[in-house]
Amino acid sequence: MRLLEVEKLTKRFGGLVAVNDVSFQVEEGEMVGIIGPNGAGKTTLFNLITGYLKPDSGKVLLRGEDITGLPPYKIANKGLVRTFQIVRPFRRLPTIANVLVALQSYRGRRRIEWIKTPERKAMEMLEDVGLSDMALEPAENLSHGDLKRLEIARAMALEPEIILLDEPFGGLNPVETEYMVKSLQRMHLDGHTIVIVEHKLHALMKLVKRVLVMHNGELIAEGTPEEIAKNKKVIEIYLGKAI
Amino acid sequence: MPIRRYLRKAYTSFGTHIYDIPPRMFAFLSLILFSLLPLFNLPTTMLQPLISLNFITVLAVSWDFLVRSGQASLGHAIFFGIGAYGTALIFKYLGWQPLISIPLGVLSGVGIAFLIGFPCLRVKGPYFAIVTFAFPVVMTGIVKYFPELGKDAGIKNLPRIFPTLTYTQRWLAEYYLSFALMVLSAVIIYKIAYSKTGITFVSILDDDLAAKACGINVSKYRIMAFVISGLFASLAGGIAAHSDLFQRRASPTFLSSTYSFVPIIVSVLGGMGTIYGPLVGAYIYTFLDSFILKSIFKIDDFTRTLIFTVIVVILLLKWPRGIGRTIVEKLEDLEKPREIEEIEKEKR
Amino acid sequence: MIDIIILGTISGIIYAFIALGFSLIYGVSGVVNLTHGAFFMIGAYIFGNLYKLLTYSIPSEFSHLTPIVALLATAIITGIIGCIYYRLTLHQVLGDEVTILIVSLFGCIIFQQIVYLIMGPVWAAQYPIPTIISETFTLWNVNIEIDRLIAAIVSLTSFIGLWIFTVKTRVGTAIRALSQDLEAAMLMGVSIEKMYILVAGIAAGLASIASVLKISAYSEPASILMWVEYMAYSFSIVILGGLGSLKGTLIGGLIFGYVYAIIESRFPQAGSLMPIAPFIIMILILVARPKGLFGKRIEME
Repeated sequence: MRLLEVEKLTKRFGGLVAVNDVSFQVEEGEMVGIIGPNGAGKTTLFNLITGYLKPDSGKVLLRGEDITGLPPYKIANKGLVRTFQIVRPFRRLPTIANVLVALQSYRGRRRIEWIKTPERKAMEMLEDVGLSDMALEPAENLSHGDLKRLEIARAMALEPEIILLDEPFGGLNPVETEYMVKSLQRMHLDGHTIVIVEHKLHALMKLVKRVLVMHNGELIAEGTPEEIAKNKKVIEIYLGKAI
Repeated sequence: MPIRRYLRKAYTSFGTHIYDIPPRMFAFLSLILFSLLPLFNLPTTMLQPLISLNFITVLAVSWDFLVRSGQASLGHAIFFGIGAYGTALIFKYLGWQPLISIPLGVLSGVGIAFLIGFPCLRVKGPYFAIVTFAFPVVMTGIVKYFPELGKDAGIKNLPRIFPTLTYTQRWLAEYYLSFALMVLSAVIIYKIAYSKTGITFVSILDDDLAAKACGINVSKYRIMAFVISGLFASLAGGIAAHSDLFQRRASPTFLSSTYSFVPIIVSVLGGMGTIYGPLVGAYIYTFLDSFILKSIFKIDDFTRTLIFTVIVVILLLKWPRGIGRTIVEKLEDLEKPREIEEIEKEKR
Repeated sequence: MIDIIILGTISGIIYAFIALGFSLIYGVSGVVNLTHGAFFMIGAYIFGNLYKLLTYSIPSEFSHLTPIVALLATAIITGIIGCIYYRLTLHQVLGDEVTILIVSLFGCIIFQQIVYLIMGPVWAAQYPIPTIISETFTLWNVNIEIDRLIAAIVSLTSFIGLWIFTVKTRVGTAIRALSQDLEAAMLMGVSIEKMYILVAGIAAGLASIASVLKISAYSEPASILMWVEYMAYSFSIVILGGLGSLKGTLIGGLIFGYVYAIIESRFPQAGSLMPIAPFIIMILILVARPKGLFGKRIEME
């Protein structure tokens, strides 16, 4: 079923059209990638979908429900969860507390199974991403790779319907990248719907079945990774017209 | 393991690392000491600064709690004043006795906290500070203008809370009342701050955008923090208005910047953001201020204020990370939830 | 009606000038320096003392130059104090908002206490600043005081002078660049640190001039507590006019002038509420329209 529908989203900043009439759908259980050169409007698109920016026109529907323009915390509570491109941990809090905060939200409190306590659930989330031995470390002591994993643990704690990852591979070394690929594959196998914005094409192409390409605020191509890799327009925007 | 932890995390912000005094133990011991002290027949002149200390501590602890949620208010005196004027006005116009007028005064304090909280939500960081600074100034102007509110002199002759005691008994009673208030406020605020709700407040302080992404209704929590903080501060104001220490009147002095700034001084001295830091800081401040500087060295009011503000500025400049470190370290002492310990035991 | 327009414009320009220093600092560095209010107070006391000093030292042929010399000297001294103060304090803790606020607020208290200790309790409470001219003349049935008119003219000239400075000179353009794009300015070789210190000094100097102009023109005494009032003016006018916009500051100041003129002429009994009026206005604006009229800096969200 159509979990997420984005219809004709547009956002202008002064004279600049950051996102121009973008539409796409995501089915339940899919893993979709969004790629595009810098400045293509990918993060702006995320911000529009997750409520951090209000679109000038267009709609966002989650399971058919119109969530356009709702405040970010409400959208998160409805099950549309995001991570940030530049990690935003709660630096003063211990790692486990970072996840506990998410469990303090309306959604977090409602969905804890009555058997588990929030602390147990938080530990489970940390174990899933391999951070359980850092549970009591203040988040500011964690390495960049660990923080990326913490972002995911925090997001997963909300048991999302669909999770939007903004450059989850950013700044990761090859080992961490492999680990992240495996984590995301596991999440997908568990049935989660995932949308990934990413720069590192080789990692992304291995993971997803469908790719959307953005350029200058517009969606210019859509297809499987193989199709996209051969698409002339896509090659052009990444490598320039000389080819 | 816990004891070793405490020994490691000493106060780096004002040098007791020399003795490695565990911070929470220190606060606890001081509490015991101060609960027994007055029984040793202290003269009233020594009792008075201690009573003032208790009120200041409530203000400081409630201010610190507010800072911990990311809202640094520079006008905390507004709640002190509202609590005082609230109970005074209720007595003046309705004749109700303190046991009723004080809680009602606190309710009005809470109500005003809501009213103030909403506009303050829309402004961030520096604007919040300036707006909070403005509130007591504005209220002072209003209060001095309307004769119904007592103008400069304030509303006088408020009834005592314990009307039937002798002179010395009265001061003792006032001391223990304020002490009870202080302990109650400190314990409740501490419990809230170091609970799961408490870490949500810190998350807003750290990164409110991320908090929103975690589904936290940041505005709701901000108002909550404001209301909790305002409740205790106006309770202090209400009780203080009926005390002999404040001449049993509600006057513009309740709104003076002293009651906005001394909580800040005290919190910085003891460790901002920790809740029990202000407690310790208040003892240090009162000890230095009233007993050493005033009585022994006979330094006048103005210079004493200067000394403390300079100390605070130096502390903040030299150890900006120091104060922050203290917050981080004390947060590490977050009560480890018992369930986690059980999980870890299960693993072994 | 015409009295409100004329008097309002005159006082409005003076108020705008008062707010100018703060507008500059905030617009450029984004640092909300609460100590700024103290420089108004310091400027007034320095001017008073310098004036006395100069009346004894300057030979009588030049005595009519005393106020100008004193004013310029005050501006320079206060500017230097501003630079040093900024360098010693806020510069260390840039980026830590809470600390900046507390430190700068306490800075006001510290200056207040220092002036008290130097000047003594009598002068601390009320320190008369010499009035330069005290005649009035009448225009269209309106009593205009010459010293206020001159103050307004000086203020307007300074405003324009500052505007030219930021547009035409190299240093001024660097300051403008800082307010628009910090990183680009750094790439262009502008030393951010030196600029911040310079701006702090300029703002302090401007504050001292504005303060002297106002209290001399309005025959008000200086007091160590005056920083609260001037801080109120600065903030509310800048917030009203919008952050980061010099034009907004001017218009905000003018609005203030008109509002005050209306209240003075039509509702004189509200006189004692006047000192807190800027704060009330400020709160109302922040609630209704935080960006102000021409605000350029948008708080994220």
